[in-house]
Amino acid sequence: MARRWAGVLRSPLGASAAVLVAAILVLAVLAPLLWTDAATATDTARISQGASAEHWAGTDSLGRDIFARVLVATSLSVRLALAATAIGVVVGLLLGTAPLLVGRRAGRLVTAVVNIAVAFPGLLLALFFAVIFGVGATGALFALGLAIAPAFARLTQTTTARVAGLDYVAAARIAGVGRFRVLFRHVLPNVAEPLVVNATVAAGSALLAFAGLSFLGLGVQPPDYDWGRLLGEGLGAIYLHPAAALAPGVAVVLAGLAFNLFGEALAKVLGERRPLERPVRRTAAEPAPDDSAMLVVEDLRVAFPGVEPVRGVGFAMDRGDAVGIVGESGSGKSLTALAVSRLVDESGEVRAERLSFLGADLRAGPHRRLLGTSLAMVFQDPMTSFNPTMRIGRQLAEVACEHQGLGRAAALDRAVDRLDAVRIPEPARRAAQYPHEFSGGMRQRAMIGMGLMGSPALIVADEPTTALDVTVQRRVLSLLADIRAADDVALLLISHDVTVVEQVCDRVLVMYAGRIVEDLPSAELRSRARHPYTRALLAAVPDMTTDRSLPLAVIPGRPADPAHLPTGCAFAPRCPLADERCTATEPDLVADDAGRRVACWHADIPVEVRA
Amino acid sequence: MTTTALRARTEHAWARFAARRLARLLVSVWVLITAAFLIIHLIPGDPVRAALGPTATPELVAARRAALGLDDPLWQQYVDYLRGLFTGELGTSMTSGLPVSQVLGDRLPATLELALLAFAVAVLVSVPVGLLFAVLTRGGRRRPAELGFTATSIVLAAIPEFLLAVALVWIFGVNLGWLPVAGRDGAASYVLPVLALALAPAAVLARILRVETLAVLRADHVRTARAKRLPDRHVYLRHVLPNSLTAAVTLGGLLLGSMVAGTVLVENVFAWPGLGSTIVSSILAKDYPLVQGIVLVYGVGVLVVNLLVDVALALLDPRSTIREG
Amino acid sequence: MRELRFDDVTVHFGSRRRGVTAVDGVDLTVPAGTVVGLVGESGSGKSTLARAAVGLAPLSGGRILLDGEPVPRRGRRPLRMVFQDPYSSLNPRMTTGASIAEALPRRTADRRAEVARLLDLVGLAAEQAGRYPGELSGGQRQRIALARALAGEPEVIIADEITSALDVSIQGTVLNLVRDLQRRMGLTILFISHDLAVVRYVSDVLAVMYRGRIVESGPAEQVLADPQDPYTRDLLDAVAAPVHSGHQADRGRNP
Repeated sequence: MARRWAGVLRSPLGASAAVLVAAILVLAVLAPLLWTDAATATDTARISQGASAEHWAGTDSLGRDIFARVLVATSLSVRLALAATAIGVVVGLLLGTAPLLVGRRAGRLVTAVVNIAVAFPGLLLALFFAVIFGVGATGALFALGLAIAPAFARLTQTTTARVAGLDYVAAARIAGVGRFRVLFRHVLPNVAEPLVVNATVAAGSALLAFAGLSFLGLGVQPPDYDWGRLLGEGLGAIYLHPAAALAPGVAVVLAGLAFNLFGEALAKVLGERRPLERPVRRTAAEPAPDDSAMLVVEDLRVAFPGVEPVRGVGFAMDRGDAVGIVGESGSGKSLTALAVSRLVDESGEVRAERLSFLGADLRAGPHRRLLGTSLAMVFQDPMTSFNPTMRIGRQLAEVACEHQGLGRAAALDRAVDRLDAVRIPEPARRAAQYPHEFSGGMRQRAMIGMGLMGSPALIVADEPTTALDVTVQRRVLSLLADIRAADDVALLLISHDVTVVEQVCDRVLVMYAGRIVEDLPSAELRSRARHPYTRALLAAVPDMTTDRSLPLAVIPGRPADPAHLPTGCAFAPRCPLADERCTATEPDLVADDAGRRVACWHADIPVEVRA
Repeated sequence: MTTTALRARTEHAWARFAARRLARLLVSVWVLITAAFLIIHLIPGDPVRAALGPTATPELVAARRAALGLDDPLWQQYVDYLRGLFTGELGTSMTSGLPVSQVLGDRLPATLELALLAFAVAVLVSVPVGLLFAVLTRGGRRRPAELGFTATSIVLAAIPEFLLAVALVWIFGVNLGWLPVAGRDGAASYVLPVLALALAPAAVLARILRVETLAVLRADHVRTARAKRLPDRHVYLRHVLPNSLTAAVTLGGLLLGSMVAGTVLVENVFAWPGLGSTIVSSILAKDYPLVQGIVLVYGVGVLVVNLLVDVALALLDPRSTIREG
Repeated sequence: MRELRFDDVTVHFGSRRRGVTAVDGVDLTVPAGTVVGLVGESGSGKSTLARAAVGLAPLSGGRILLDGEPVPRRGRRPLRMVFQDPYSSLNPRMTTGASIAEALPRRTADRRAEVARLLDLVGLAAEQAGRYPGELSGGQRQRIALARALAGEPEVIIADEITSALDVSIQGTVLNLVRDLQRRMGLTILFISHDLAVVRYVSDVLAVMYRGRIVESGPAEQVLADPQDPYTRDLLDAVAAPVHSGHQADRGRNP
């Protein structure tokens, strides 16, 4: 925590903002001590004069030095702004946390009141309260404080409500922890950052708003003066000597900017954590697959600044093949799929010895038409993968309009036809609906239908059923299998679930830490897997035949972090067979006579997976 | 479910949305009216004495109190006030003696013009600029452009409208002499007030729109759109913009609300004959009936803006009516 | 350890006309010292049932009883829960030790020793008490959550999808721990999961939930060997048989 606050000072923006804020605070304390005499000394010989060497910002109608007055006014301006912010924050916190502390009904009432109040702009609220509290500094102070409160209350409410819904708060409640302790121990510490950021920004706005009120004559009254008052007095004479209006104006802007920037810097540092930069490691390329295939991937690498999550992946697929890629999080399986379909984010760098699809070199040019019609994608989360503001039919039809030159009506007809093909009942009516009106399984089928708008040779499906229920999952998988059988379409299926891959695919690629560690027919997965990781993975997941009287096999340690890979074999730290050779040199992916590939120094040692 | 049933459900959802929204508007208007009514009663001491000053004779104060109905029981005054509102009778200004409704009618058009023009300028400038910079700086590209954009928008957003107004007056009125600095007379007189009011909200809006657009660019459904190999402009205009606009509309509504308030300050700088300059003078003169009337008008204006925003959001986002329900 | 019994429990959200009945008249008994596995798909109401048991969801009807007595809602709670997401179930601003200690009864004499004992129970070193959740892996966090649930010797533990957010290679260690703790301490556990294989592995009794109702329950072997309800059969088919093309699998109840 303290380290992160210190981080604010290390960023250039944060450091300069902090210096500005500190300077203003110091000035607010010292200026009245140093320059009060100069600011109040009237000089009838020099009334309303312009800027000169003696009076940098000129003199006012009583011949007082405006620059000195601006400096001295820092104190009152800042004090009033901070006091108003304090009032606003305290009232806002009380109102904002009330729903958590008082009963449900009272809480709802407080929320409703805050919601109504927050609809009105702060300045209007301030004017309203200023009428009631009367014209003057004290009135304006309370008016502004109460005007800040609703917005702060609302922020407090939403942030605390979010945290209060989290499981650790539920766990504390279940354990019998009282509501005040829940608030102070579990909720407030976890919302402190946005609140502090907001309070800082609110202080900046309060400073500006107070200047506004004083400028209008509703705030500080003579003989007292703050920046707003000076500005109001200076504006009348702006033609004669503009410095009288500009000097306090500049002061207000500088101070407001300082607080705003400081809040900005806080938000930036507290809000985001940057990944650590790590050197990119290089490993040997894998052997070249044969090159007549429909899809050829050779030494595929995907790198982001500081990490290389895919490190030399190679495989080939023919028409009608069904290949599965399994692996845990961080194995690079999804990135491999995205790289094959040329959809890696722009911050990622994709390189490959070869990356060809239907004879075209995907590394050169966007190949819009080819990929748009011959390669279909199915993504993991059907809830977020459709544009929520566009009808399903239109989203499908777009493809045909773009790549097949169909008119809108013809394209929509085809979309309806494709929805029918993926067994969506009443396709014409469904095509006119928005994504949120579809169930998850139906959306995933529509997504597959979108891929069928062209005539795909390859469907890349990235965890297509992970977000679905098992019975729905089955229907989606069998739909994919049907499409494959009917049109000789190849399927590249990415999943963390060995069972799913085993059910659908002919061949399985097992990935670990950005590389393929084993490649074998899925029929041999349970009987002839040679890599210790593959075998451990199979043993660690219970299935319907697992012996209940024995503990499950366990893979010690945690999945490899692509940013912190060990030297040698990435699986060595978790491997029961690891020896010095494993920790020193990474094994190559070696093919046997039957085309099975494995990357392990001990691939030929039979191993009893440790229980 | 049949098509008719579906349509019925959709209409039902709209009816529910309209009913709920209307109820909220009515409650807010009631709170507003009550607050405006209470202004005169929450002021410590005798408001009439405060308005007329210590030199006024007790007879005059008593007469004025009676004229304002302040000697009736509170509930009676409240009922009278509500009845007056329904008949457009808002009382009489204590300083000018004119009916409050007449003053409002005279002054409101100038303020409305100012706020709406400024809002239009802010939107027309910020939407293309925000979208353009999002696309230009996506995925950490063009750092200098991003820095320049962010810095400019932060600084512009931090300058309050009345200071901007003063600066504009100084530059274009005093130094260059290009544009009039006060009054509402001819097209040229609109330029500076509208600019003063529009610049800061435009900066805020452009900035939010850029951030929102960047977030949408990372969304799954944009990846789907890219997987369809659509041309970039289709991806941006059909799949990105409609989704980033929802946030912009929400914020735009808030900004329009604060622009209505911002007119108070800007009108005072430019001596604009609108409600803003009137409310300040009436507060200073303790002309409470007039203050009440103006507070009501501003409040209703803000509530109407909020209503429009909610309707726009419901139209923009097909999920919203159901999401709320 | 005592017996947990759901007696005609109904949970209804929203208004009477337009609301959703998430749990609809559920009768279920978790006998003392056994693991009852509750399996069902998303939206079946299994998590709502769990939340109702610990008082996080309001009952619209029925009773939840511990050995025939209503579950107390004040003071020390006899029911504890372990959640699905190990990243949101621990307060990031509290050390793991403090999180566990908070769940201990107020009169506990040597809290530090008790925390160390609980950490040892879930296979973690006592030093882990001083660490923050951010420094721990998903599997370790789930162990901490288990230790917190065990603090103060609860009568029943409710485990809601505790392995589904974990990587497959980690899931096994947590399942082993649950199984091991249950055998050693004779815990009463209501174990909820969407994964039939996982539920089968840890449970003695199996209950299948579908659309807010328990459609089938009984000894695990019996339910799996001879499912009576068509939905249970669907579920079993989905995990067991391979997917073939031309296999119109649209005979399920979902539209």
